Amino acid sequence: MRVTALLVVATTLLGGCVTANVDEMTFDAPVAGMGEGSIVILGRRHAPDYDTEPDFIDCIGGHVSRGDAGISVIPERQFIDSLYPWFEPRTAPLSIESVDRLMTVPSVANKLGELDLQYMIWIDGRTEDTNSSGSMTCGVGPTGAGCFGFGTWGTESEYEATIWNFGEGSEVGRMSAQTSGQSYMPAVVVPIPIIAPVQDTACESLGNQLLQYLSAES
Amino acid sequence: MVERLLDSTTLGRRAKSALALTCLLALAACSAREVVVEGSFPTPVVDPVPVSVGVLFTKEFREHELVDDATGRGEASWRVSTGVAQVDFWSTLLPAFFQNVVFIESYEDLNTYDVDAVLIPEVTDVQYAIPLYTNVKVYEIWMRYQLSLVEPDQLKDDENQAITTENAQPFVQWPLTAYGKTPTAFLQSDTDAVNQAAVMALRDAGANFITSFGRVPGVLEWVANPEEAQ
Repeated sequence: MRVTALLVVATTLLGGCVTANVDEMTFDAPVAGMGEGSIVILGRRHAPDYDTEPDFIDCIGGHVSRGDAGISVIPERQFIDSLYPWFEPRTAPLSIESVDRLMTVPSVANKLGELDLQYMIWIDGRTEDTNSSGSMTCGVGPTGAGCFGFGTWGTESEYEATIWNFGEGSEVGRMSAQTSGQSYMPAVVVPIPIIAPVQDTACESLGNQLLQYLSAES
Repeated sequence: MVERLLDSTTLGRRAKSALALTCLLALAACSAREVVVEGSFPTPVVDPVPVSVGVLFTKEFREHELVDDATGRGEASWRVSTGVAQVDFWSTLLPAFFQNVVFIESYEDLNTYDVDAVLIPEVTDVQYAIPLYTNVKVYEIWMRYQLSLVEPDQLKDDENQAITTENAQPFVQWPLTAYGKTPTAFLQSDTDAVNQAAVMALRDAGANFITSFGRVPGVLEWVANPEEAQ
């Protein structure tokens, strides 16, 4: 019992070892908050070797919604499906100027008008495991199973958010978050994963920056 | 069967279970992976092209599947059935893209419906790549189509009262490529990842079709004057 409690405390303490760097360059922040209208947060998916994770986009959207109930965040999948095929990896606009061309398609312009979109925020980046070391041996015998050893690995996140003011047709800011952390897995009979919340920290960092920009409450 | 073999040994109960599990996992690793592609496809937001089109899904198209038998140790055979998803996807996309669409399923349909042309999609090639082969952490699917616009009369086999594509001479024919990928980090299993990559490839095929249709040689002339351009 005492050992279990000790492990839980150790897990909680060691699980928070993440470093984060945030950077921001924004213009024309809405002083009184963004008011009426909605925003959409979209992941970039045109790189050959990675996609920005949908759950990371959901995480940022949730963070912004929880931070200011007045900001209406359109879920990414719903937005992409409702405007198919104009936000697929092949067709997604890479600059705000491309959106102007998209608005020349009447049905697309109508749909975007219905959504009352104020800001479109693009997130580009990923989280990946880097170095790993250690070894662990697991065995199964007639009396039971167990593992012994120690493993550790690093995780890095790097994301950049680009904010487009949809009403004005201009790019109004870029924000970035780089986080990294080391996870550990000691095993004495039972492996105990001590996971560094690298992606969660990146989500929180980027979400906070977006909230500061968009919300009058921050 | 594995359990029955183990019953004849003198191992303990837990050891037997563990060994049985190991054998089953080993067998699963060598067995064929089967994917029947499934997904939901949105209706495209487009201004319909003002023509009346019949759509003919051939038997090969409806039943299309990719079969890749394992050639080496540690590889698995793959069978990816895309036919049902192809029909589902194009049946959603085409009625939104053209002003009037009918699906041609019989000889009678050719006589009943007055359409400007019949569109026949064919899957000419499907390729896939999984991280085991490429060392890149994504599952990928490539699809290549051949799309043909044919005069309805050319598909009639009056003698047998049937549809035939054998002697049809398309007045417009063009290739269409599509690509879909899914990073390994997103999904739980190989089959889920290949399914998701195939769904992305279908969506990409639709995006490519919609954005490139107007640039296909001969298409604009046909749209401007569907009666005479053929």
